[in-house]
Amino acid sequence: MSELAAVETPTVADFARTFRRVQTEIHKVIIGHEQAVEELLSALFAGGHVLIEGVPGTGKTTLVKTLGLALNLSFNRIQFTVDLMPADITGTRVILSGADGRREFTFQPGPVFCHILLGDEINRATPKTQSALLEAMAELQVTVSGTTYPLAPPYFVMATLNPVEMEGTYPLPEAQLDRFLFKVRLDYPDEEQLVRIISSTTGAEEGRVEPVFSGAEAPALIESLKKIVREVIAAPAMDQYAARIVRATQPEHSRFVGASPRSLHDEMVNRYVMFGSSPRGAQALIMGAKVRALLDGRANVAREDIEAVAVAALAHRIMLNYAAHSDGIEAPQIVERVIKSAHAARV
Amino acid sequence: MSFPRQVTRADEKLGAILTQMARLRGRLNSLAIQHAVFRVLAILLVAGAAIFAAANWFAPLIFLALSAAISISAIAATVLAVRIGWAMRASAVGAAQIADERADLKGRLATIVEVAARPNRGALWPYVVEDALAHREEFNAARIERHRIERSVWMLGAAILAAAIVIPLARAHHPDLLAQNDQPADVTVDLDDLHLRPANSGDSAGLEMQADSATMSKLEAKLAREGLSAGAGGVQAPGGILNRARTLASRVQNKLRGDSAARRHRLTLKLADTGGDRASNPRGDDSALRRNHRRGDTAGQFKSEHPAGQEDFPLPPIDKSARAHDQSHPSGDQGGSLAVPDSGESDSAPEAQSAHDTPDSRADQASNGGATHGIGADPDSLFGAPVSSRMTTEGFEISIEARAMEHGAKGAGQAYLPPKVRTPLSPTQQPDEPIARAAVPAEDRTTIERVFER
Repeated sequence: MSELAAVETPTVADFARTFRRVQTEIHKVIIGHEQAVEELLSALFAGGHVLIEGVPGTGKTTLVKTLGLALNLSFNRIQFTVDLMPADITGTRVILSGADGRREFTFQPGPVFCHILLGDEINRATPKTQSALLEAMAELQVTVSGTTYPLAPPYFVMATLNPVEMEGTYPLPEAQLDRFLFKVRLDYPDEEQLVRIISSTTGAEEGRVEPVFSGAEAPALIESLKKIVREVIAAPAMDQYAARIVRATQPEHSRFVGASPRSLHDEMVNRYVMFGSSPRGAQALIMGAKVRALLDGRANVAREDIEAVAVAALAHRIMLNYAAHSDGIEAPQIVERVIKSAHAARV
Repeated sequence: MSFPRQVTRADEKLGAILTQMARLRGRLNSLAIQHAVFRVLAILLVAGAAIFAAANWFAPLIFLALSAAISISAIAATVLAVRIGWAMRASAVGAAQIADERADLKGRLATIVEVAARPNRGALWPYVVEDALAHREEFNAARIERHRIERSVWMLGAAILAAAIVIPLARAHHPDLLAQNDQPADVTVDLDDLHLRPANSGDSAGLEMQADSATMSKLEAKLAREGLSAGAGGVQAPGGILNRARTLASRVQNKLRGDSAARRHRLTLKLADTGGDRASNPRGDDSALRRNHRRGDTAGQFKSEHPAGQEDFPLPPIDKSARAHDQSHPSGDQGGSLAVPDSGESDSAPEAQSAHDTPDSRADQASNGGATHGIGADPDSLFGAPVSSRMTTEGFEISIEARAMEHGAKGAGQAYLPPKVRTPLSPTQQPDEPIARAAVPAEDRTTIERVFER
């Protein structure tokens, strides 16, 4: 099993090696989607959750299942439907008969109690049900009937969205969206990838995923890896860079603050953005950048790291107005524009 | 757990990185200073050379306008150069960021420089230091910034070269004619024949006017009549401001050229009044007065309006005693700023020239002397090259040449060729005095009579 088991505190090199190993295992099943897989794992080690958006058949569910297998963590899946109730997610108190014959209310944990939770087509459930995940995602706990039940770390929620079929769906509330560290987009595979998918899924042999961690040690090792991510040093200038990028997505602050005469005023943000990113966006930028720095063998955050994760970290936090919808502008375009301006201005 | 020795080693490594960064910062700041200094020097040098060239090449007002434009441009460029140099200076973090960017170190050095001062640097700090130190060669000061001398030095070199070319050219363009004349000129002009016009301000430098009080008052009156006196409001008028500007520009030009007042040729202009008041010319320097009428052009501000060659005004009796003085200063042409370019030459010329004068050349000189009568009155030659008078003490010759005419006398066997008559001047002969008639040779007398009869 893992070499990490023998390592008390993983090093930067250990992190990168483990990360690549998990990635390799996932790609035994998932063909293509390299960036999506990297962002997914980055969010996992950064301690965040991921919203996966993709048309049906692009491997969303398969990806999540494969990740659970590779990490050797407990894995649950909830198929969100319109009649799904919060208790169906968090669990409920039920009357059970004890050994002595006495009947008492006992908490029956819902599918939320696991390490990796897949919420499939989360936008099909009502906002009330969607919100049942809020506490679990943000605070790693569930409160049922006045009793709080902690969730065992690592806890990782992956929710999928179908962007095409919007009838009968409930768009996720902003508060819910903001809880996801990254939004990962799964596009159609290209021809070469499609050929490989066909050959690997229609043959006699199926791709077998080897767990990177042993079952008992996996949670602790993943937690130690998450800890080292937080140890990565972000210089004040990098924090400032992330903060300015986030503020630049806000229409009322779309001007890069600072005394520099090179400050930019982005008309695109003013025209198309209704609400910009929240402070969680800045946290997501730095955490994602830290993971990327470790993958690059560094223990310091660079501008390039922040820019690399900006779209995944900020796009789903930006609410566009009707002008953007009518002009066919999407949130990733806004973020890319902001990053381009910020990079040029070197704010 | 870390031991003191390990801590010391970590600090040593950090110190090595920071020292290297300080070296790089020093180099960058040195280049920033050089940038500002070289550019400022180049700008000042080019501007100075341009102003010097303008002083030598252009008239005062153009020079004034050009030098003002050059000065404003130079000041603006200097401020810009200093600002760019100031912006080029690098702080410790700035130098680290430059090194990160140029060596593609992805924020390693900037992080170290920024976080080094923190008390709590984090668990991965030793790794960051070690990682940066592993790239030590990549952020060597010489590698990040190869230049020790800023590239603006080429600009300075070009400016020096340009100045070295322009300044001698400008000097060559403005020969110091005034300096060639050491002898002061003494010119007497008739007040009544003066044509007055506003002079170039700088031209009056070196001019000294002498006259008796009555003549001076007449001059004042004349100036007032023509609206040229200073008291007539000329200073307040736009023309007066222009004159002041000219004066200022001219002074600056003179300073730039090195034309000091001591080196300038002094011209003494003596005014005479022939308009009935003979007492106004106490010295009776009639020959000089007449000479100036002949030359016409009198020192820019004064010029005769008499047509060339005409002497229709009543000439006063010639004072013989003044002739010697007159001949020592035969030229009355005082073109430009009252310079007398030919005075030195003409002082010694007569004797030297008479020795090798041929009869033909003498004839040319004589005719030339006639031609110079119009200089000054003729607009084409008003500011033209001064023509030196070649008059000798021995006298002059007038040669008369005639050609045979085919449509001349009917039935004549051959055209009449007039004889060449040469009459030597007496030593007291004035150059423009009518020549005494020569006696017609006996053999030609009959022919002449025949011609007149016909």
